Amino acid sequence: MYGFEALTFNINDGYLEAIVRGYRSGLLTAADYNNLCQCETLDDIKMHLTATEYGPYLQNEPSPLHTTTIVEKCTLKLVEEYKHMMCQATEPLSKFLEYITYGHMIDNVVLIVTGTLHERDVHELLEKCHPLGMFDSIASLAVAQNMRELYRLVLVDTPLAPYFSECITSEDLDDMNIEIMRNTLYKAYLEDFYKFCEKLGGATAEIMRDLLAFEADRRAVNITINSIGTELTRDDRKKLYSNFGLLYPYGHEELAVCEDIDQVRGAMEKYPPYQSIFAKLSYGESQMLDKAFYEEEVKRLCLAFEQQFHYGVFFAYMRLREQEIRNLMWISECVAQNQKTRVHDSVVFIF
Amino acid sequence: MAEIESDQLQRASLDETKVKNEDEEEEECILQFLDSLDAYLTLVDSLSSSLRQGWFDLASARQSMGHTCISSKLFDHKVHSASTTINIMELDADNPSDPKPQFSLSKWATTKENPSSEVPNNSNLRHRAPTGVLEDGEKSNGTQVSSVVSNDVSLQLDIQKERSKSLTIFGGLVSPKLRTAQVSFETALDKIVEIANARSSMLSSFSQLQLNKKSSS
Repeated sequence: MYGFEALTFNINDGYLEAIVRGYRSGLLTAADYNNLCQCETLDDIKMHLTATEYGPYLQNEPSPLHTTTIVEKCTLKLVEEYKHMMCQATEPLSKFLEYITYGHMIDNVVLIVTGTLHERDVHELLEKCHPLGMFDSIASLAVAQNMRELYRLVLVDTPLAPYFSECITSEDLDDMNIEIMRNTLYKAYLEDFYKFCEKLGGATAEIMRDLLAFEADRRAVNITINSIGTELTRDDRKKLYSNFGLLYPYGHEELAVCEDIDQVRGAMEKYPPYQSIFAKLSYGESQMLDKAFYEEEVKRLCLAFEQQFHYGVFFAYMRLREQEIRNLMWISECVAQNQKTRVHDSVVFIF
Repeated sequence: MAEIESDQLQRASLDETKVKNEDEEEEECILQFLDSLDAYLTLVDSLSSSLRQGWFDLASARQSMGHTCISSKLFDHKVHSASTTINIMELDADNPSDPKPQFSLSKWATTKENPSSEVPNNSNLRHRAPTGVLEDGEKSNGTQVSSVVSNDVSLQLDIQKERSKSLTIFGGLVSPKLRTAQVSFETALDKIVEIANARSSMLSSFSQLQLNKKSSS
């Protein structure tokens, strides 16, 4: 019953909510980012991060550092925190935490299948996979020749199996089919996650509804922009949009026929939350769109912590950490390429 | 006596003219060399900017699409023909002992290898029709221009398709930032070929200058 979570939430999930709120206080602040943006070398970045919670993960890394090393070690911290929460969680929180990792699972499946199509060694590809998206039979993905085999040999025993019903064909796997498979799986995953949160009800449903709707809408915009000028037809594009969100269904109708960024802007500006995002961009420009969307997402994720006794804080924390890792990757790239003047192009401050 | 003096004067003025011409030639060679050196240095600087922009755009694309989506682990190891090739021509027929190589790029070569597929069968550009057909002069000129334009448009579309195809190693739907990075690197490749030509021209001017100096001394 909504409004009465305070009576029962802490019985099973109070400890983990306290843990995740503690983790949240370890996120980097604007002062940390200002120090990092002034670093001259990657070793300077390592030195500054040693004074944060990333210290134990980076202090033993030898020089010269690479940007990928910094990202891997920071991701390791996130994975350890997630595993700590997961091993302490009971149903339905454990199921909720599993849902958070399915997106990474989908990305890993696509990485392995694409790499195999390009005749790359599976072990090389496994090193690149996101640790949160690993499952036991992932290496067997290299054997499949088409989606039917992919499902039958490997994915039938994974949590992604229910999402494959719309993907199963005997067509050979090529780059466009793989991309369609990725987006179809992600669409099914988001819709399933949405239904799960609705079933949980209460504050979790209310907060996750907003966060997942935003995610669905952002994906719709990205799919539209990335498919402009490609061989993806309007009907195929529309099939990749999720069946929920602020843009569903009329916004999707308009996005499906867009041929350039200005038409996308025209479709999106009819929705007040997205009008403010597109107001930050000049006409014909899409370079800063990602940053504008990330800023809006961070704002919504931070708001999730304003309310207690719901699972949205776990989702919000994981997403905020991922944003932090993206920020660190960007700062590292700018420092490595001696482009410090452009560092604020993509850094999104969380606090 | 007067004749001898006028002969001497004539010879002296001829010698002076010859020396003046040689000096002018040498100055011209020096100027040519310095011009080619300036062009070379400008191109090197421009290449550095293009590459810097390309790497930055690639980092932006990685930020947008995720670092697992844009990775060297996804490069295609299957054997396939190069989409861009370089042609080398030896120029300078005047000086066969010092050939001046000229480089040119053949970009998106798979498109250009099949020009017949782009030209429609009824195009007047390739059709040597009998006189009777060409009596519709204005109409044939109009269709000639429109077929040239449509061929150019068709070629551009094919090149665009080849560009998109080369990016599919990173996925079927890539960020516009990755396309921008591709254009930056393509520009850098053009500049590398221009640098090679400028260097060839510079070395040729330098060797010409050295020859002139040797002959004058």
